[in-house]
Amino acid sequence: MDAKACAAAIVAGMRKAGIDFVATLPDEKMLEVIRAVEQEGGLKHVPLCREEEGIGICAGAYLAGKKTALIMQNAGFLNSCNALTTTSMQLQIPTLLMIYYAGDRGDRGFTTLGGVTEPVLNAMGIRNYVLRNVDEIDEILAGAQVLADDSKKPVAVLLTKSVLGVK
Amino acid sequence: MQRYDFLKVIAGDTADALVVSTGWASREWWALKPSEGNLKTRTLGLVSSIAAGLALALPHRKVIALDGDGAFLMNLCGLPTIALQSPGNFIHLLFDNGIYEASGGTATASSVADPVALALGAGYKHACWVETVEQFRAEFLETWRKNELTLIAVKVNPGQPKDLPPLRLDEVENKYRFMRYLEATEKKGLLNPGFDSKL
Repeated sequence: MDAKACAAAIVAGMRKAGIDFVATLPDEKMLEVIRAVEQEGGLKHVPLCREEEGIGICAGAYLAGKKTALIMQNAGFLNSCNALTTTSMQLQIPTLLMIYYAGDRGDRGFTTLGGVTEPVLNAMGIRNYVLRNVDEIDEILAGAQVLADDSKKPVAVLLTKSVLGVK
Repeated sequence: MQRYDFLKVIAGDTADALVVSTGWASREWWALKPSEGNLKTRTLGLVSSIAAGLALALPHRKVIALDGDGAFLMNLCGLPTIALQSPGNFIHLLFDNGIYEASGGTATASSVADPVALALGAGYKHACWVETVEQFRAEFLETWRKNELTLIAVKVNPGQPKDLPPLRLDEVENKYRFMRYLEATEKKGLLNPGFDSKL
């Protein structure tokens, strides 16, 4: 599947999981996903300037009944750690974190970032799942959203190049 | 004049608006207007972003952020994001006391950085300084009526009245009560009923 088809499947999976409010900050690898979010009429799209404020935007939207997701790169996840801790976790607010896994195995240039991503998620107690295969999109996104909603915590899905259909 | 003096003159004008605050401003506002529609937050800087998220999700409802200069300057990236959406129901109030009051009182950069210019530069439709409580209330009422994204900023002296009652709820209880209040006033379910509902 090419990047456009993968993006369509990912956004369809988000909709099936109940997501209706999405804040984004682009990584080149997520470009088609963000385009698909923008074009999906059932999603409110809020483009961000920095990921940490997106945690605040999503928290406010959740309090008013939205099912929120934040699309970003793992560098953006690191930018968000304080807000995730002192807003999402302190107030027990779920958000689906859809994180491009830069520095994943086989990905050049970001090995330092890739190396700390899962350890930091785990240290923060944020349950996380690596999504590599297109045929797992629906199950992992829906499952992660159920976990987030029921545990009232952020839950992370790490998206790799293979599930995004990019090189 | 202190922040409390300015909050006092609008406490009777906020109807069923949702009010997001942090630090001392939370205690001051609760003392003036106890309401289940008040939300206390914890992350320095995020009051405006959390309030904006609420405003975007509830476009028919007024949402007010009680911001401070330290928090405002920490979350400058949030301003263009809010301006891009431009929620008219979001009223951004900035009380500039020049210091990180809750963190010991060291100076912020607000002596040189102008929050009104920053908000306008970020794309806010309106932003203005006021000086007196009368001007503050008049601007607030005008902003409420106009329903366009606005920042109202005022220089205040640090400090608050003695004997402010303590807040007898933590963030989690506050969150649940806030959401139950929204459920009642918006007449729709917001909280996931949880797995027990499937038994």
